[in-house]
Parts: sequence; structure tokens; C-alpha cells
Amino acid sequence: MSTEWPLWSLGTPAPDNAHPAPEGVQPPDEQAPAPAQAPAQPAAGPAAEPVPPAAPEPACPACGRPIDPAAWFCEACGNPLKPSVAAVPSSPSPGDSSTQTRRLGERASALADCPVCGGSVGADGYCQTCGAKAPSARDHFTSAPAPWVGGVCDRGVQHSRNEDAMALWAEGDRAVLVVCDGVSTSIDSDVAALAGAEKARDVLVALSSEGIGSDDSEDTALASALVTATEEANKAVIAHTAPDSTNAASATFAAAVVLNDRVHYANLGDSRVYLLTPTEKLLLSIDDSMAQAFIAEGMPRAEAEALPRAHGITKWLGRDANDTVPRTGHQPVTEPGWLVVCSDGLWNYASSPEELAVQVDAAASVSSDPTEIAGRLVVWANGQGGKDNVTVALASVPAGAPTLGATPSDQGKESAEHG
Amino acid sequence: MAEFTSAVYQNEFLPDGGTDVNAIVTIRCTGAGAAGRTGSGDAGEIVVVDTSGSMGVANMNAAKQAAMIALDNILDGTYFAVVAGNHKAYLAYPMVQTGAGMVRMDARTRAEARQQISYFRAEGGTAMGTWLNLCRALFGSIGILAQKHVILLTDGENHNETQGQLDAAIANCAGDFQVDARGVGVDWKVAEIRKIAQAMLGTVDIIGDPARLGAVFEELMRNSMARGVASADLRVWIPQGAQVLFIRQVSPTVEDLTHRGAPVNQLTMSYPTGSWGDEERDYHVAIRLAAKTVGQEQLAARVQLAVGADLLTQGLVKAKWSADTNLTAQINPEVAHYTGQAELAQVIQEGLAAKSAGDEATATTKLGRAVQLATESGNTEATSKLRKVVDITDARTGTVRLKKAVDKVDEMALDTASTKTTRIRG
Repeated sequence: MSTEWPLWSLGTPAPDNAHPAPEGVQPPDEQAPAPAQAPAQPAAGPAAEPVPPAAPEPACPACGRPIDPAAWFCEACGNPLKPSVAAVPSSPSPGDSSTQTRRLGERASALADCPVCGGSVGADGYCQTCGAKAPSARDHFTSAPAPWVGGVCDRGVQHSRNEDAMALWAEGDRAVLVVCDGVSTSIDSDVAALAGAEKARDVLVALSSEGIGSDDSEDTALASALVTATEEANKAVIAHTAPDSTNAASATFAAAVVLNDRVHYANLGDSRVYLLTPTEKLLLSIDDSMAQAFIAEGMPRAEAEALPRAHGITKWLGRDANDTVPRTGHQPVTEPGWLVVCSDGLWNYASSPEELAVQVDAAASVSSDPTEIAGRLVVWANGQGGKDNVTVALASVPAGAPTLGATPSDQGKESAEHG
Repeated sequence: MAEFTSAVYQNEFLPDGGTDVNAIVTIRCTGAGAAGRTGSGDAGEIVVVDTSGSMGVANMNAAKQAAMIALDNILDGTYFAVVAGNHKAYLAYPMVQTGAGMVRMDARTRAEARQQISYFRAEGGTAMGTWLNLCRALFGSIGILAQKHVILLTDGENHNETQGQLDAAIANCAGDFQVDARGVGVDWKVAEIRKIAQAMLGTVDIIGDPARLGAVFEELMRNSMARGVASADLRVWIPQGAQVLFIRQVSPTVEDLTHRGAPVNQLTMSYPTGSWGDEERDYHVAIRLAAKTVGQEQLAARVQLAVGADLLTQGLVKAKWSADTNLTAQINPEVAHYTGQAELAQVIQEGLAAKSAGDEATATTKLGRAVQLATESGNTEATSKLRKVVDITDARTGTVRLKKAVDKVDEMALDTASTKTTRIRG
């Protein structure tokens, strides 16, 4: 070291002779350890920590690809999953605080290419170049439990998240279709709606296989099962509502059970059940909505549904619901056709059964696969503006009819496909 | 090992066509450990004492005592040096002419250094640039230091250097070490010392009463020794095509970081934050994006804390375009609060500058606005300091009159404390 230090004791003129030069001035050698002899400490550079071996990752039962244990859906194929751990709160509520604490690098980055700019998507779910939110499995998913039953649930165009939910099941000549539409002004309704739909489906699967005798007793048993399923769905919605939530999660409810050539259905709010055959075009459910109240008083449907408050619903699932007993019904299927369970994101653009039948027929002319038809109807609704989330579930009725040569091995399997 | 966590406070909803996103990102450090003891490298401390003639006997004696107390609070094993500064800078301890200009603290070196300090006498002028440059050379002579900190005490203006010389010294040293600067008495210039402290990622304050010097130095050194994270950087990623409007530390003090960044890559800037103890700091990030259509969501910024190449925490700042005015019209309370605190710092400084320039009308308006902001935000420290400079007629509307006679100490205390902010969360 060649620096010569401006030593204070040497550099300042001696003020007076009263102070002798300070004692203890010694040759530099004895003053301090030479730098070279100092313990060799690593500089504060990046600590080259070995990457811990990855724990065996849970895999999707449908496609076998790795999944996030907190996810409700497979990122790869969209197959619905049961989370094994609690998820971090998904979207913070408006103006609310959100805590995002995460050690980076624990998850693989670059999950996929960004559909907007082609950049890579980070582990945080956003593009690392343009910041676009990568489409999440919750924003768009499909379900195809049997070749004759399928559906698509989609965020739509104008909403920032998908609060619609769908849960389907099919086996043999039986199917369950449930659609819930989370009310977008309530907190966490996306999570609650999905929990409600899945719970109702599970209850209906269990109950619909019991003690079915004559048509009459079947009708009674199924009506009761649908009421129970609604009740259980309501409990699930409430269970997914934060106790201190100022705006409790709420959702509509529409369910249909297909037993061979009979359809049993129930609804609360304005999600709908249609039966569309060549000769019969029926809206089976009756909305619990302001528009429906005007229709009941004699106002034409088109006029009532154009009113500003038409979409206000009068019944719903959730902690602040007064009446959660659904309206139930049943309908024999006399000729092959489509059972459609959908949210208002679809019927906003084709409300009457006749209008909807036109769109279903157009989609069915391209493919007879219900999941594909649902997908085409979602694309069509988004093309009309997509101002709400869109969910469409279809079953070919009577069960398995009319055209699909269902292979037995595929039956009852929760297969799914890319959206 | 220190743990960093982060939280984001914002209203992520933008109206149709909206482009500007504001967020407060809180970064919290826990388990920081002690300086030089966390395995990331040694710490170095330099105590710089103004020994100019203006110090006089009383201040000089108080400064000697304070410097010794500072030494008492340096952990054994820490490299240290003592510098005496007037119109030149002198190495007072260790007493070496060449080689390593700092030694490790132990009982012997502490006693020797204390003795050297006891010989200090007030004499000569003031050239703080030379003090800083000597500190840089001393730290550099050890080479392996991960954490470098200076306590600088002065009592007067930088008479013996040009503005350009001081600026050059600051530029030479910024980024190399941190400086906490303290002024004793009322003959130093707040703006001059604040410039040093801000550039050197440290703090500035006035010590009106020399008897408090010892306590102040003790606290400064203890705080420094409790900063086990030697150096960390705030990293801000923005999307391609986006623009940083500003990046500001807003708590515990307001510091504009906007132009202090260095690029990490095309989309990420890195802003030095110095060393960390167990503490929380808040940052206000304002980003301008190209508007997207209603219903779309995108990331406006990733705000990260990095130590070396390791990213230890990340907060996501988001933008969601919505047609719902109930959502888009809300102003996040944290953003509103810190926007007010930043304005408070600005109007206090501008008000005092106008007052010293004789522009009483501007001073009255600015300091009135300061009273209003301090009252609204519950910044009682600022309010009580303002009260010593102005007579408050109506705090709510900011109606004030300048006091006829103001103690210089009170005016400087208001100035140095202007950047201190209050928080609105626990």
C-alpha cells in the first residue's frame, strides 16, 4: 500500500509545548495486522447456495403433469383438483392491502410463453417482458366427464376474473351438471362459487344413485336431493366467506340431474336450465330476478330483460341470503336433444329458448361433442361483447343420445382438455 | 440469516384509458444480526470529528466525549479509524503513515484511540470534501470490508472548499460508504450537510445542545452496529414500454430515488438502499403504462429487495382496468398519506428557504400548507416543530403567521426533520 496517511499528530502544527507528542506512536508494523493477514472473509457476493433438491411434486391425476398443491385446477390441462394445502388469497379486494411475500426461485420460473408478446411468464403468473397476466386455469376451464357431457367456464371479456363456476359428473346413463355464478360485487365470490358448485355436484352424485324406483318416487327423491344439494352448496359458500367479510360472497345456483330419459333441475337466481330438442324448446328454470318479476306481471321478456335493474337477483346462495330453497322440477325427454345449464353470460345474448336453440344448433353443426359445442358458444358470447363471465354445460339427452357412440372405457372418467 | 418480506398497498383498478399506477411497497427486515458478524464480511466504522477553530473549547470537549462514547459502542473485531477534520483531513487513529489505515477494535486499540481523541484541539477551517475522500481511502486500504459507515460531526460551513470541490468529493464517495451527519450549533448549513447525508444514504440532524452529543453518538453507533445486512438494493422491474414516474423512499424519511438507479437489465433498475437492521421501510412507486381495454389486468411493477444477486422478497404492483367507478375512484389510503408526507417535506424546505430569502408571503403560504398537512396526517413532531416557527391561527385551513422572533435552532430543527414521516399503520 503506497498511500501515505496525513497523520493528525504529525500533520498539525504543535499548538503549544504543554502537550508533548502523544505517546505510543509506533512503527506501522505493530499497529495493525497487515491486510493480507486478515482472515480471508469472502466478499459480500452472491452466496452460492446449492439448490435444495426438489420434493416430489404432486401431479395432476388427469394429465400427469406437476401441479401446485394449492391449485384448484391443473395448470396444464385445466382438470379440477382438490387442493392439498391452503392457497394464498387470490385477488386482493379493491383498495385493500395485499401481502405478497415469497422467496423467489422456489418455483420454476418461465412456466410458458406469454400469449400477448411471446415473452416468458414468471413464477408470479405475469409476463416477464410485457407484464400481461398469464391466463390462469381459473379464468378458463373445461370439463368433459363423458363423451355426452361437457362444459366450458370462461372469464369473458370485460371482467377481470372468473367468478362463474361449474362442476360436472357423468357415469353410465346418469349425469350431474351444476353452474354457479358468483356475484361480482361480493368478496371472494370466485372461490365461494366454485366450492358451492363442487359441493352440490358431490351431494347429487351421492344422492342420485340411491333408491330410485318408479318415476314418481324418482321425482320425489331427486327433488329432495336437489334441495339438499342447494343447502350444502350454501354451506360451502359460507364456509369460503371470510368471517369478517363486509360483503359476503354470494352466488347463483342452477343444477340438473340426468337419469336416462328424465331431467331433474333446480335453480336460485338467474343461472338457467334449458331443454332444446327439434320440437321442444324449453326454458325449464325460472329466474329469481327483477326481470322475472316484471315478466310475471305480464311484461314481454325482451322488454323486461332490457330494464336497468333486470339483472338484480332476488335469491342467491351466501351468508346474507334469506331464502335458499330452490325451485325444483323435472321433465321427461321425448326425443334426442340438448340439456343446457348456463350462466347469464351466455343467455344475455340469447335469452329465449328459440334464440338459444339457433346458437346451439349452429355450434352443433360443426361438432357433436358437447365440450366443443360449449366452447363455441363461449366464443360466440365473447364475440357479442363478453360483458360477463360465461359458463355453458351441455348433456346430450336422453343420456348418451343421440349420435355419440360412447366408448365404455371413457365413461365416467374425468377427462379434460385444453381451452 | 436476515429475512425480508414485503407488502403492497394500492388501488389496482384504473378507469378506462387510465395510465398511472401508484403503490406503497413496505419492505421489512427481521433477524438482521450484528454488523460484521453475519458471515457476509467485515464492517468498518470511521468517526470524523470537526476540529476547526470555530468548535471552541466547549463544543470541542463535548465532541471528544461523544467520539469516545462512539468508540465504546463499536463491537470488538470491527475495523475502525478516527479522523480529525478542519481545512484538511488527518488520520488521528490508527497512527500509521502507510499501509492499512484502519485496525480491528479491541481493548488496546480502543484505549489508544480514546487517548488520541483526548488530544484534539479546535483549530483551522473546514473542508468536508477532504474528510470524505480520506474516509474513502481508509476504507479502501482494508479492501475486504462489506459494510462501511461514517459518523460525521461538524459545526460550520464548508468555508475552505468550493461547491465544486465538495460535490466532486461526494460523487467520488457516493455508493462506497454511508454517512450519518450531525451538526452542532447553528453555524452550519442544513442544505449542505443534507446533501452529503442524502447522497451517502445516511441521516442528518441538528444537535442544538452540545451536552446531548454523547447520547446521539451512542445511538448512531448502536444503530449502525445492529445493521447486519451490509448492503441491499431495491430493484424495480417495469413492463416493456412503461415509464417510471418516480421511485421514492417515504418512510422512515422521504428520499427521492428516481435518478439514483443503475440498470440491471433492459426492464429492471437497481437502487442502492445501504445497510439494513431489523426495520421496515416504505417505498412509493409510480409507473405510467399504456392503457389496456377494460377487463384486462397486467403487472405494473415487480418491486424486489436484492442482496448481491439474491432476490429476497418481491411485491407485485398491478393494474386492472375497470368500468366500475366505485372501484376506480378510490384512492388508496397509504398512497394518499405518503403523497401528503412527501409534499410536507417539500413545503417545509421551500417555506424556510423563502423565509431566509426574505420572501415572507411565500414563506407564510408554504409553512401554512405544511401545518395543514402535518395536522391532517397526525405528524405531531412536524406540527410541534412548525409551532416554534409560525403562530397557527387555523391548522385545518393552514392559516398561519410567521413568528417575529425565531430561535435559529428551532428553524434548523424543523428543516432537518422535514423529511421524517409518520406511518398510518401499526
